[in-house]
Amino acid sequence: MKRRLWSGLIGVVVALAVGALIMLAQGYRPFSTYAALFQFSLGGIGPFTTTLKNSVPLVLTGLSAAVAFASGPVNLGQPGQFVFGALAATIGGLYINLPAVLEIPLLLLLAIAGGALWSSIAAFLRRAFEMSEFIVTLMLNMIADFFTAWVIAFPLMDRKAYSPMTPQIVMNGWMPDLGLLSSSTLVMLGAVVLVWFVFHRWRAGYEWRMTGQNSVFARLGGCDIQRNFLAVMLVTGALAGLAGGLVVMAGPHRFIKGLGANYAWDGIMIAIMANNSIVGTLVYGVFIAAIQTGALGMELITNVPSEIAQVLQAVLVLIIVATREYTNVLLDRLSARRQAKERAA
Amino acid sequence: MNVLIGLITGMISGATPILLAALGGTFTFYAGIFNIAMEGMMLMAAFFAVLGSFFFHSWLIGLALAILGSLTLALIFILFSVRLETDEFVTGIALNLFALGITTYFLRQIFKVKGVFTSKSIVPVPQLNIPIIEKIPFVGPILSGRNLIVYIAVIATFFCYYLIFKTRFGLRVRGAGYNADSLDSSGVRTSRIRMQALLLCALFCGLGGAFLSLGYVTLFAENMTAGRGWISLAAIILVDGHPYGIAAISLLFGFFDGLGLFLQNYGVASQFTAMIPYIATLFALYVYARRVREKKGKRT
Repeated sequence: MKRRLWSGLIGVVVALAVGALIMLAQGYRPFSTYAALFQFSLGGIGPFTTTLKNSVPLVLTGLSAAVAFASGPVNLGQPGQFVFGALAATIGGLYINLPAVLEIPLLLLLAIAGGALWSSIAAFLRRAFEMSEFIVTLMLNMIADFFTAWVIAFPLMDRKAYSPMTPQIVMNGWMPDLGLLSSSTLVMLGAVVLVWFVFHRWRAGYEWRMTGQNSVFARLGGCDIQRNFLAVMLVTGALAGLAGGLVVMAGPHRFIKGLGANYAWDGIMIAIMANNSIVGTLVYGVFIAAIQTGALGMELITNVPSEIAQVLQAVLVLIIVATREYTNVLLDRLSARRQAKERAA
Repeated sequence: MNVLIGLITGMISGATPILLAALGGTFTFYAGIFNIAMEGMMLMAAFFAVLGSFFFHSWLIGLALAILGSLTLALIFILFSVRLETDEFVTGIALNLFALGITTYFLRQIFKVKGVFTSKSIVPVPQLNIPIIEKIPFVGPILSGRNLIVYIAVIATFFCYYLIFKTRFGLRVRGAGYNADSLDSSGVRTSRIRMQALLLCALFCGLGGAFLSLGYVTLFAENMTAGRGWISLAAIILVDGHPYGIAAISLLFGFFDGLGLFLQNYGVASQFTAMIPYIATLFALYVYARRVREKKGKRT
């Protein structure tokens, strides 16, 4: 635990230093840039709640990836599951109008169902034809992307808008703000707690983790591998779908072009940085959200384009993972050397 | 007649980037590297091809910069995955996102645009007219007048086959993937072979990326590779990395790519025609999975 914390911290510091070098090479001043970046994302209660709100899709897709990777399935379909969740919630919000107390849970359920539906296709193809979910989910991402682009450009297009988007969903389906805090943040925290509980305290979660670490052992121990695979695919699809629904309900209140953009891939990176730990996903998710949120403010006062956040993120993930794994390699070598010495003596 | 020629030439242009990326990927496939960075390598190459061609008004410099851009990504891959022993899957995903980030950033920083950069000053890679063949009816307009990189891709297919199966280097590459320990114990450093395989992969992905932005179209768009690197990975897996098989599969994908553009003329929504190559990939994976299962059935 302690080792993970240290390697994470070292990784963050090294990555920020590399980012500073990139900025220096471009003729920007790294310190004031970073100061502006974190000023706009963490400097005060308002910026911090904005960061938390922006972290919702990142953390939820990150959770989806973390649970999948830790349990075995290489579900890289978060982008597709995300837009399908968003689409399902949008359609519900366009055609169903109930009091907010009912409408919001209904739309959230629709989002969950939309994501799970899309991931169930990959699960089905794996189950019925033994097609590897790795490339299947990637291809399904592209298909989902084009499909939703078609839906918002033709059947559900808002005729008053200049670019493809749906009309706004009913007001009762908007995620309310509680003061500065968006209620979508609470849904996210609830999901984190629930997933942690299932993963670490329930039998199902235990079986998933065992299958992920050693599927032969899990099978000999009596786990139903096929059923667990299906369950993990559905749960992870549901999480990604929930992320999509929340983005629609808390943000633009409609499905706009490019809604999914990079959230889901960022989530996958966050899961990788966190080494598939649930709490780690939450921490890194908020951290990445801080960088993304701050980047917009940074652009306003320092002229550094906000796109640098994307570069910084990729550098972060590489360096954090490399630091962690290389520390392990070094420690393993040290212990091997020690053992060799003991044996020689 | 003209429709048919159009379909076939469309198929060839659609196939070329996938073919080149997949040929590059065969080296890493045989060398036992789980390389999923083809997407990023192509994207880097596509960007730097436009950069070079725009500023130096020369497609040759564009091509050179494209390969350099792609090689840079390969060097980072080597640094992390071979030197620092980071997980290859993680490295690949991070590099793909790095390529997306850095090209978007540079697009904004250097060309001051978001989304798409296009200009008359970008010199595309020329088309090659073959003197005698171009006169032959039907075959002529197909074989002649294609982009230079298309011809390079054809030669590369045979070259890769020769390199992998007929040379000592190829044997070592395959050895690195088949049994790294015995290759090491026979005095060849596996890590060095893997580095060379990655650099070769980057070379071919560089050509593929340059074809996208200086041949297929003459512009650079954010994330313009649009999953072609992943399709090429699927192509490699489908034929177990054999260069000729890859050529066949790439042509098949090229056909569906061209078919999509063709169907757009008949009023099919472009979003649906754009899905076709990905659905074709899913179908190909289905056929592959069935074949594997049948083989397994026979053995037992």
